[in-house]
Amino acid sequence: MSMITQITMVAVVVAVTCALPGVFLVLRGTTMVSDAITHTVLLGIVLAFFITQDLRSPWLMIGATLVGVGTVWAIEALQQTKLLSNDAAIGIIFPLFFSIAIILITRYAGNVHLDVDAVLMGEVAFAPFRRFVFMGMDLGPRALWTMLVILILNSLFIFLFYKELKLTTFDAAFAAAVGFSPVLVHYGLMTLVSLTAVGAYDSVGSILVVGFMVGPPLAAYLLTDRLYIMIALSIVLAIVNSVVGVQLAFALDTTIAGMIATVTGFTTLLIFVLSPKKGLIKASLNRRRELKKIDRQIKQAQKS
Amino acid sequence: MRKIRASLLFGSVMLLAACGNGETEEAVDEQAVESTEEVAEAAELNVVATTTMMADLMEVIGGERVEVTGLMGPGIDPHDYQPSTSDVNAMTEADIVAYNGLMLEERFVEVFDQLEQQGVFTITAEDAMDTSVLLDPEEDEEDLEYDPHIWFSVAHWETVTEHVADRLSEKEPESEDYFRENAENYLDELAELREYIEERIEEVPEQSRYLVTAHDAFQYFGEEFNFEVLGLQGLNPQTEAGTADISSLADFLADNEINAVFVETSVSPRGIEALIEAAASRGHEVENAGELYSDALGSPDDGTDTYIEMFRANIDTIVDGLTN
Repeated sequence: MSMITQITMVAVVVAVTCALPGVFLVLRGTTMVSDAITHTVLLGIVLAFFITQDLRSPWLMIGATLVGVGTVWAIEALQQTKLLSNDAAIGIIFPLFFSIAIILITRYAGNVHLDVDAVLMGEVAFAPFRRFVFMGMDLGPRALWTMLVILILNSLFIFLFYKELKLTTFDAAFAAAVGFSPVLVHYGLMTLVSLTAVGAYDSVGSILVVGFMVGPPLAAYLLTDRLYIMIALSIVLAIVNSVVGVQLAFALDTTIAGMIATVTGFTTLLIFVLSPKKGLIKASLNRRRELKKIDRQIKQAQKS
Repeated sequence: MRKIRASLLFGSVMLLAACGNGETEEAVDEQAVESTEEVAEAAELNVVATTTMMADLMEVIGGERVEVTGLMGPGIDPHDYQPSTSDVNAMTEADIVAYNGLMLEERFVEVFDQLEQQGVFTITAEDAMDTSVLLDPEEDEEDLEYDPHIWFSVAHWETVTEHVADRLSEKEPESEDYFRENAENYLDELAELREYIEERIEEVPEQSRYLVTAHDAFQYFGEEFNFEVLGLQGLNPQTEAGTADISSLADFLADNEINAVFVETSVSPRGIEALIEAAASRGHEVENAGELYSDALGSPDDGTDTYIEMFRANIDTIVDGLTN
């Protein structure tokens, strides 16, 4: 299989995998959790490195995922207190975990090439070079397989808990009132967010993780009020962005991750402006119509 | 109802994925045709080299027999390198990949291992070196991290030159004489370079042979030419210098009356600027004596795009900075 096909496949699978939990992050107003995770995982890597003393150890990845889970849980717990807003909770946890990691590296591992790049390499352009070889058979890019597994987990979770996710996302109070605990579903979702972020980080790099999780679901949110349509549109947009991004990157000879992120930002902005339901143009048209209506009413009142 | 939705959803995904792939396949076929034509015309060995130093050396020894693609541009810190699509294409078509090793190109380690398994010939500076001559920054026996900046020892670079000639001859035995001749000529040039370095260093009084730089890239240079070398940051320019690092180094500058420190083209000057201020607060004046090339060569515009020119420029900057 050719290079560009393999890169496109990896990008598409990662984009869809990220878009699924991203839908719920957007609806719950906690999109920047994904950004927080891409930084705090460093702490997990550092701690795992201190234990194993080996930069190649798979424990570093496991450590990263665990701290990712810790990050989302800590942010969740702070939000549950209702004493501070969502973004403030992220703003406390993210720098705290990240700077502990930096302090540990500076203090104890200054001369080791220990940083996020070294362990979670994350470069979509290199994905085809990292093969998955099983019993002597070359089964294609490894990122494709790991992300497919995470994709299946995400799809299964959303499929099985669709009703519960919907209820806890849109009306947590009602869910609690009918005797349904949102906590379990919630933490389950957040664990998947962390797993997805670390897996995607390792496959395509950090800018894209945030772009993939936020861009397509946000654009889809601007186009529809129905959850299942929003999920479907997110998937479609994730695929379109990746395919167009990879093609453009090859046409213009530039960084692939950067190009996909740019295309994602561009389509999202475009939909933000043009969306027939909630777009910028529609909103200003609505406002003008309202103003005219009031104007007319005032005039009529003056006449009579 | 939910099942129908789900299957519809899945169907549309697969359909879209299929469309996407069809498109890309065509585009790639065209590309493949183009590239095979190129190869047939040139019939040179396609070499992909990571650092500017390795690219330069491959070019010198390989000469007309190689077509070298350098991945990292001038002034790029190997950590900040972002691959472009032409880099990816070059790597797919490579007959030889050449890199420094010793974890300098950490992002590539896994990729190069894989390429080697797929039968791509690799040449590394790391393989040329006996581990006993490598410097170990941690001085810790268990720790297997060595200082990767071996190009700053001319003697080590001579060893690497011979190794590159050996490996190229292994890859293409019929051109062995040609590679050996190129290597011989280059070794002469390196000897000249060494003479020039030693001559210029003579100008610096022995008690002021201190080289203080942004990150710890010049230890091999210090070892070979008897300089005391101090880097503000560790080996990895990605880590931040701690406040204790800055203040202890500022004390050291004041105590030893060192008046010149150096920034690097591929490292942010912020750390060195903080160091100069810290020294000033101790009543000791230190000057930023100029930019050194550390992890990458310069650009052709500055005339520092080869190893030898880069080293000459560095020596001039160091000697001029320390003698003023």
